[in-house]
This record gives sequence, C-alpha cells and structure tokens, in this order.
Amino acid sequence: MSVSNLLENWSKVRHTHPVGDVPHEEYKWAMAIDLDACTGCNACSVACYAENNIAVVGKEKYAHGQAMHWMRIERYWDEDEREFPDQGAQFLPMMCQQCEAAPCETVCPVGATNHTADGLNSQVYNRCVGSRYCSANCPFKVRYFNWWDYPDQENAWPDEMKQQLNPDVTVRTKGVMEKCTFCVQRLTAAKNMARNEGRLVKDGEVQTACQQACPTNAISFGNLVDAESRVHKQWKQQQVELAEDAQAKDEYFTDLRGYRILEDLRAYPSVMYLERVRESAI
Amino acid sequence: MIENNFNRRDFLKVLGWGGAAVTLSGCGFTSVQDGTETVVSYVEPTEYALPGIGVYFNSTCAQCDAGCSITGRVREGRALKLEGNAASSINRGKMCGLGQAGVQAHYNPDRLREPMFKGQPVAWDKALGLIDEKVKTLKGDDVAFLTGGMSGHVKVLFKNYMDALGSKNHYVYEAVSPSVVRAANKKAYGVEAPRLRLDKAKAVVSFGADFLGAWVSPVHFSQQYAQFRKGNRPEGRGVLVQIEPKMTLTGANADRWIPLRPGTDGVLALGIIHALAKNGLSVPADVAAAVKDYAPERVSQETGVSVEQIGKLAALLKTHTPSLVLAGDAAEGYQHGSQNAAAIALLNRVLGNVGKTIEAPANVPFPQIAAQGGNRAALQALNGKLASGKVQMLFVHGANPVYTAPLSLKFKENLNKATFKVVFAHYMDETALQADLVLPLDSALEDWATAVPEYLPEGAQLNVQQPLMEKLHAGTRGTGDILLALLKQRRANEYGKFDDFYAYLRNAVVSIKGALGGGGKDEDTFWAETLSEGLVKLPGSGGNLSSKASAAGLHFPAVVEDAAYPLRLIPSVTANMRDGRNANQPWLQESPDPLTTIVWDSWVEIHPKTAAKLGIVEGDIVEVASKSGSIKAQAYLFPGIHPDAVSVPLGYGHEAMGRYAKGVGANAFAMLDAVSDQETGELAMNETRVKIGKTGQRIIVIKEEGVAGGKQAGKKIAARLASDKVDLSKEV
Amino acid sequence: MQSFFRSIILLAGLFFYASSHAADALPPLTTADNLGPKVEQPIEFPHNRHAGLRDPADAGDPSVPAKGGMEINCMYCHTGARRSAVAAIPPLQKCIGCHQTINSVRETPRIQKLFEYWEAKKAIPWKKVHDLPDFVRFNHERHIQRFIFAQGKPVQEACGYCHGDVRAMTVARRSKPLSMGWCATCHQKDHPVDAVSGKTSHGPNDCWQCHK
Repeated sequence: MSVSNLLENWSKVRHTHPVGDVPHEEYKWAMAIDLDACTGCNACSVACYAENNIAVVGKEKYAHGQAMHWMRIERYWDEDEREFPDQGAQFLPMMCQQCEAAPCETVCPVGATNHTADGLNSQVYNRCVGSRYCSANCPFKVRYFNWWDYPDQENAWPDEMKQQLNPDVTVRTKGVMEKCTFCVQRLTAAKNMARNEGRLVKDGEVQTACQQACPTNAISFGNLVDAESRVHKQWKQQQVELAEDAQAKDEYFTDLRGYRILEDLRAYPSVMYLERVRESAI
Repeated sequence: MIENNFNRRDFLKVLGWGGAAVTLSGCGFTSVQDGTETVVSYVEPTEYALPGIGVYFNSTCAQCDAGCSITGRVREGRALKLEGNAASSINRGKMCGLGQAGVQAHYNPDRLREPMFKGQPVAWDKALGLIDEKVKTLKGDDVAFLTGGMSGHVKVLFKNYMDALGSKNHYVYEAVSPSVVRAANKKAYGVEAPRLRLDKAKAVVSFGADFLGAWVSPVHFSQQYAQFRKGNRPEGRGVLVQIEPKMTLTGANADRWIPLRPGTDGVLALGIIHALAKNGLSVPADVAAAVKDYAPERVSQETGVSVEQIGKLAALLKTHTPSLVLAGDAAEGYQHGSQNAAAIALLNRVLGNVGKTIEAPANVPFPQIAAQGGNRAALQALNGKLASGKVQMLFVHGANPVYTAPLSLKFKENLNKATFKVVFAHYMDETALQADLVLPLDSALEDWATAVPEYLPEGAQLNVQQPLMEKLHAGTRGTGDILLALLKQRRANEYGKFDDFYAYLRNAVVSIKGALGGGGKDEDTFWAETLSEGLVKLPGSGGNLSSKASAAGLHFPAVVEDAAYPLRLIPSVTANMRDGRNANQPWLQESPDPLTTIVWDSWVEIHPKTAAKLGIVEGDIVEVASKSGSIKAQAYLFPGIHPDAVSVPLGYGHEAMGRYAKGVGANAFAMLDAVSDQETGELAMNETRVKIGKTGQRIIVIKEEGVAGGKQAGKKIAARLASDKVDLSKEV
Repeated sequence: MQSFFRSIILLAGLFFYASSHAADALPPLTTADNLGPKVEQPIEFPHNRHAGLRDPADAGDPSVPAKGGMEINCMYCHTGARRSAVAAIPPLQKCIGCHQTINSVRETPRIQKLFEYWEAKKAIPWKKVHDLPDFVRFNHERHIQRFIFAQGKPVQEACGYCHGDVRAMTVARRSKPLSMGWCATCHQKDHPVDAVSGKTSHGPNDCWQCHK
C-alpha cells in the first residue's frame, strides 16, 4: 500500500473494524471501568509494573516525561474555582484503549502496531523501529517510548531484580514503543487452556493484572462477543455500542452513566467508563 | 517523490531483521541461537513443577500489618508476582500497590547478606555467641526489646526468649498506628478493634480515617467501600462524608469533603449531636446535658464548618441509619486526641450504630498468638529508660526508631547509652547503622511465620507465611530460626529437639489442630492443607461489645495560637510510604502520590490562599520549621488542605537503607514536637506548629499531573454525575 | 514543507540504521552439512539409540547391547511438549530411572558421567539447541495437541517437522531455519482440524500469537 493510496482511502482504512468487514468471531476483549468504585489507589498501576516488566525510570527521567506506566491514574479537580475541592477529586485509570480504528496503527511506517483478530491493538517490539508516529497520533497518550536502554545501561533492574522479570513478557530496550497489551500473555495462556478442552475462554477465567489487583473491583474485563460475560452485560445495559462514534442514548436524557473518552474522534475505544456518582444532597 | 515510489513492503523487508536487532540487543537473543543458553533442567523434579508453567503458593503479605493473604506465582524457582488469596476474609483475592511491591523487598539489591559486628562481617556462630556471652553477664532487667507490632509464633518465641532472660522490658512500637483510637475504642466498646461494617452503613462520616489509603486494613475497607457504593444493594448507594484538615485518598473519594480546623473534631462531633437532638433525635439526658453548649453557631466558629453544613450533616445522619462514624489519624493526633475519639464514639452511640455497623470482633482462642499492636508511647517509654542508662542491651526487630523518632526525643543519643545493641534487619537502615550487632533477616518470601491480624473483619484467622522460593542469599536467616537458636542457648532442654523453626512451627501448629478446626485429620494432612491454603480459619465465638461511650469529662480546650509558628503541621501517612519502611521499593517511589501526583520526593502541601499570602508558588523550595527541627522541601499548592495547615508526607528522607531510599526527600518525623495525648501518652502527631519560609530556590515539581493542573479543558474525560441523575438499581 | 523534509531525513536514517544491523544480525541458518551449528553438550547424548528404529537383529537377550534404537516416544522424556510451552529436558532422575537397571552400558564413559552428575546431585548443564529469540512465544503444547492428539500424526513425524530426523542424530542439531518466514509457510497452509471431520484450518496470522 503506497502512501498515496493510504491517503486516498484514509477513511476506509480507519473504519475497517467497526464497520464489520472484519468481524470479531470468537473474541473481542474489552473493559468497563467503574469510576464510582475507583478510589485512585494506584494498585492497578503497580500490579502492571510487576506483571509486564515495566522499567522504573527514576526521578530525572520522570521529569522529562519518560515514565513508562502503561496504567496510570489521572487526577482531576473541579473547575468551578471554589476555595476547596469539597466534592473530592476525580480519578481516572488510563491505559491503551485498544481502539477498533486505532489512530496509532495507520501511521506506523513498518506495521509494528496492528489489529488482532481478538480486537486488540498489538505492538510488536521486534518490528518497531521507534519512529514514535504512533505516540504522536494517540489521542489518549498511552504509548511509552524507550528513550534509554533500561535493562543494560540504566540499572532499572539490578541483577537481583532481574530475577523478578516475567518470562512471558519481552524486556524492551532502547528505541522501542510500548503500551498496555490487556495482559496479552495471560490471554494467550487462557486461550491455550480453553482450546485444549475444545471450547472458548469463559468469563472470569482470565483477568488482567490491574483487574485482579483492584481492591474495589472497579475494572471488569472480558469478551464482548460472549453474551454471558460481565463486560458484555455492562456495555449492553449502559447502551454503549462499540461501533458507534456517538451513542444513541446521549441524544435524549438517560439515567445511564456509561461513556467512552473522546468518542467523537472516531477511534472506537474498547474501554467503557462509568461516570463517578456524587450525592447531591450533602 | 516518496509518495509515488515508496513501497511499504520493501521498506518492511529491509527493516525486518534490523528492527529486531535494534529492539532487543543486550537483553536477550534477537535471532535463532544454537548452544548458547543453558536449558532449565532439574536433578529430581517436583511433581507439580513443569518448566514453562507457573506454580502458585499461598502465603501472607508482610508489607504492612493488615495481614492480607497472598498467592505467589513461582516459575523455574523464582517468585515473580504476588496476587491476593481469595480464601482470606481480609483481602478476598485483592491487593494494594504496597503489597504488589513485596517482591521488591525480596529482590532488593540492598539487602543485608551477612551478620555484621561493629561494621565488620562476622560468622553466624560468632554472632550468636556474642549475644550468649553478653546476656550471661546481665540481669534480665538490663535487657530491653523494641519490636514492631507482632503476632503468631514469632511473637511466642520472642516472649519465651524474654522470659528466659528474665526481661520484662518489651516495647511494642509502631510509629504510625491508630493507638489513641484503639484506647478510645476499649473505653467505649470494651474492645480495641471492633468490626466496622461499611458495607451495612447507609452513610459513613469519617473524621480523618483514611481507610482507603493507609488506615488499619485498606484492602479490606476498599472492598467494603465498593459494597457500600453499590446502588443496587438493599440499603442503596452509601454516602461518604470525610471531615479532615488535609484531604486524604478517602477524602478525595467522599461525596462531601469538609476541611476542618485542625484538632476540632470532637467539638464538631458534639455539635452534630446537638443538632441531631434539635432535629428530634432522642438523646440520653446525660448526653444532651453534655452537648448543650455546642450550638451550631459556636461549633461553626471553632471548627470553621458552616452552620448550614452542620445542619446538613445532622440531617444526613438522622435519615441514613444505620450509619458509621469513624475516628482516624487526623482526629487522634492531638493533646486531646482521646477526647476527640471519645466524642466520636459518643456520636456513634447516639446514632444507635453500636451493634449495627460497629460489631464485636471474633475472639482469638490463643491469646499468646493474638496480635499485639504497636503504639508510639512505647518509644517514649523506652527512650526514658535508655536516657537514664538503665538499658544495657537492646534488641530491635521490625522497627527503625532512629529514623522514626522525632529529633526532640534525642533517641539516637540515648540509644548509644546502651552498651550492646542487636538489630534484626533486612537492610542497613538508620537503626542498623547504630547497632553493635546486625542480624540479616530472610525476606518475607523466604521465611516461615504465622500471623494473626489485629483487625479481624470476620472470624479469627491464622495466616501462614511460607517461603515461595529458595533463599537468595545464603547468609540471611529467618527471625524464627534466630530466636530458636537464641532460646537453645538458654533452654536447651525445651528447644533442643527442634532442628529449625520450621520443625518448631509445624509441631506448634499441629499440636493444636483440634482447636484450629482440624481435629478429625491426621497431622500430615492437616499441615499439608494448612500450607496449601495459606491460612486457617479459627473456629470460635464472637466477642462481646458494650456500648458505654460516655459524655462525662469531655472537654475541649480552646485552640491556642502561636504567633511565632502560625501553621499546623499535618504529617501525612500515604499509602505508598506509610512510616518509611518500604521507601526502598522503587515501584512505590515511582508510583505517583494519588493526590499531588508527585514522585520520588517529599513535598509541602499549602493551600493556594496561604501560599499567595506568603508569596509562595509551586516548586519553591521552602523551609518548614518547628520548635524541634526543620526540613526543606518543594512547595505544592494544594486546594485540599485547610489554610491554617501545611502537610508533609512521612516516609521520605532516609539517610540510609539503600539506593532507592537514601536521600530521597526529607524526613518529617524528625521535626515533630514531643507533645503527647494527655490520656494515653501517645505522641500527638498533629500537634506540631510550624512556620514556613522561602529559601529562594525554585525547581520544577516532578509529578504526573500535566501543566493543565488537573483540568479537563471542557472535554468529557473523567466524568461525574449527581446521584439524582442516575439510576443505579438496574446496573449489572 | 519543512516537516516533510524532516520525515525524509528520518526515514533515510532508519534505512541506514537498519541495514547496518542487518548484516550482523542474521546468523547462518545452516552449515555445510545443511544442519545448524554443532553444539557441544556436557554428555554426548545419543538420540539415535533412544528414539531410533529398532534393529531386527536386536530381538531377544536383554544382556546383549542392542545395535539399533529403542523407538522411545519423544514425549516419554520431553514430557512438557504436550502440556507446556516448552518441551523440557528430562530431569536427571528420569535418566537414572532407566539406566540404573541397564547394566549392559553401565560402564560406558557417557553413563559413568551421567552417574557422576547424579551422585553429586548436580543438574546437567545441557545447552539449548533450538533457541528462539526472546521475543518469540512458541508453544509446544498447541502444536502437539493439534497434530498428534487431534489429527493423529505419528509422533516422530510431527516433532520431526521442526526438529528434523532426530532418530538419526546423536546430539541433536537444528535442521530447520526456525525463522519467521519458515514458520509462516506452514501457518499459511490448511491443516486438518482432526482425524475424521475433513475440516481444515490454517495457523494463526496475528503478530501477537507468536510475538510477545
């Protein structure tokens, strides 16, 4: 596909998955995050470091925006200029939204980031050449670039700590982009087990690291294709459609709280958030 | 030009292998390699360990005292990842970030590897021999023990060793602990740690109890909180009000966060009772008499909480029953901390919460293994004894008092009056540096132990801590093994028959298997099941709870201002750093503080209004000075703090403890004034008055928050709905 | 315009960087005898004696050393193959389990060495022969379950597709390139799903199936 071809057919390339020409048959991994349950405690983020061999970059590199937290908690305040934030803060766990029409995919010059049949936005480290176009094009800013050779030169893992590295996940070095994978190594293992028994992965059989740690069960994760999965039921109940860039329910008043972030950018994220609720009477 | 001729496939072809080489050079093989790596192979296999497949072992988290049960994933003999153990009634399969970082305590590159005597490595036999020689020359009263909170069989061995030496000087110390509230609970309910049922409460009013962050048993309370917030539970979605001068993580999650003038918690609690009585709630006569002076106008003036807000609080508590009122760190940290806690207990009594959302905890059938929670008064008591020169020999375990003691106590100076100091330590921390003899410990993932948590959410539970893998360093030993060796020196008859602590522990547990619910099983089966589960749920009766919170003697002195030190210091206990014992775990240093989003440093939280008055902007290095000491740290303008207070997180500013902790931030413990709660003698953490001044330096604050400072720029990113705009009942 | 030039420079730079690595990154796929490089192992393990075909002359007296192989199933020793991502090298105990009763070869140098390891309770430091790059996730279990247990291929044929004719080797040597292109040639083909239905499917095509 030449660049001119790409540009001419831009809208088509971008819309490939949601319009259904490559439907998800067996799996479509998706999430629902309940912001009313999320307390902002950061357990998910640390669990992600532990599971996915994420480098600790240290103070100086953090200052340069080089932190690698695939799962980060964003904290927002109200903007009404009151003296005190007396309705608390707003916490938002933010990680790769595994967009169906992912803006990062179309700009990768080497095809290192692709859509998988399971509806994941894959990042293939050995193919990545570090152009960082994907990161520039990501509206959620959830792609992290290895500016340094952490395993070898930056002492992110002294010898003792190397022993903690998860052998199911590649250790990335300098010049590679990385991001949340929905713990693809766990998905692969679960699919493998299910396949041995000639069936599909059942709801609850596989958990992402963040979901497993979350003390308030704010994160649910599962197969959107599976009508029995909790995540499917949540999306359905909240009337959020994966392949829409504006939800019909938003046209009229509803008492539902499901939404996707920056939906109007037509990236079709696979993560639905549930709005935080605050008691109005106190 | 490029547009016409550039062919993406060709581009890929060229880059295929090159990309690979760039990707992974140095951290692994990037191409097929024959005969370079050695294959994992075993001499004798264990049936369940297959290369390439993780094995899971149950154990107990030792990162804090909550006693969560964990499941460690082990592959090819290495512990890789910790998950929660679903069988535990404490954490039900969940974990916090602190717990996750437990593997970094284990693999920490700065762990001690061999015993040290006066700074020189020494063999274990020699080290234990030195202790033997020394204790022989001393009377029991000359020897003292300073330990952290403890329970289980390690506690039993400590006690037995103290008995063997004839020492009664056991100081159980935790720098951060709810010790005043514990005493107040004992008075009001007859128990120190009653069960708190957030899940049954329709409203929770918390006076500075950060139960989602770092208070008592955060993972357990977080789960209860999730239940409490469910719109589809019979009680409906619960309402949380947090009242505290500095916003904690729990405050950030409240429906209403109320900034209270520091220390006026008790006044507000009585004011709420007053308002409730006015609203028609029947209040016992003695209580009514005690609160008659606490009219909303006066309370409002003292606490800074508006009359309208007090009315709303009373209305909420009247309609939302049962409710639950909590007293936390922010309420107890004053000279009149006990009074604050007593007033809050009284509010619970008036609301009829006792027995509904405050329940009796389970009895632990064996008091000798029950938890002994640490407090701050223990350090003050030991300090006095050290100062008078009455302690010749001191054992320290599970505490770092040289770091956590306020400078005003002169603890370090007094410590050195003891002639022989033995410190059990994982790292060369500030206290180990002062020791004559340092005994290096196995990590929690290598060692055997049992634990009974102090806060028991359901029935009593005996947690087993077992090794997940082989020891990393040959020169470390388990606490239990060291104590057993020391006991063998004194009571060879009694302990000689045990080869090691494992043998002791197995014997001790299986010998009471009947009482542990394993009466019908043979010893081997019972033991194997215990290890497999990682815990034993103890059968037994629930305890008793009394409701005797009294209005008698409640008196709150007027707040006296100090013109030279106009601000109140609130040393904050954060979920990441707590009392600083985990500061050398890099995941925790790099995990942003949830509220300020700052990493790898201390900060001083100042309300923007106060900062404007003082001409301070974000990033100014300010000096916070009390009568007892001062620190320098970056200023962070934080709207969630009372304008009369500044807050500095605890746990930073280590002078030792390895590469990840040393020199990161400033130690707020050091500058605390030695003021105590009048009833319990506990160090009053929030009583320190400070002044704040600019040093002239300014830096860029390193934090996760972007330049927008937590604003969403009109986009729907983190969205919020009012509760009357949403129907939660149909949610799945 | 300026940004357009910048991207050309960047792309040219990428070409240069990549091609400078391409030369030294590619190992020789085969040696002169069309096999991977010879790997020196702590014990020269004779695969041919264990897995090779029986010699018709070997029937009868067990005290007389056999000339041919034992036709031992690959999975008798490599027990991980059907249930783990890695096929696994058998633990030393497994070798000893048989060899302590096989007196006919007890005094040969290789077996003596084997028992030296056993008595010292030391694991034998076998070298990896089929060592894939660290970013590749190859799962033995998936392939064995599909081709041997579902489709019913003979074991040595199924294993041999990637490992070559191990029956004829002493110390195993690599006989296939194990490169991505080589894997893909097979993944693109249609393979029977099982022995009876006649249905076929091809191997997965997602990057993340094999890359981690």
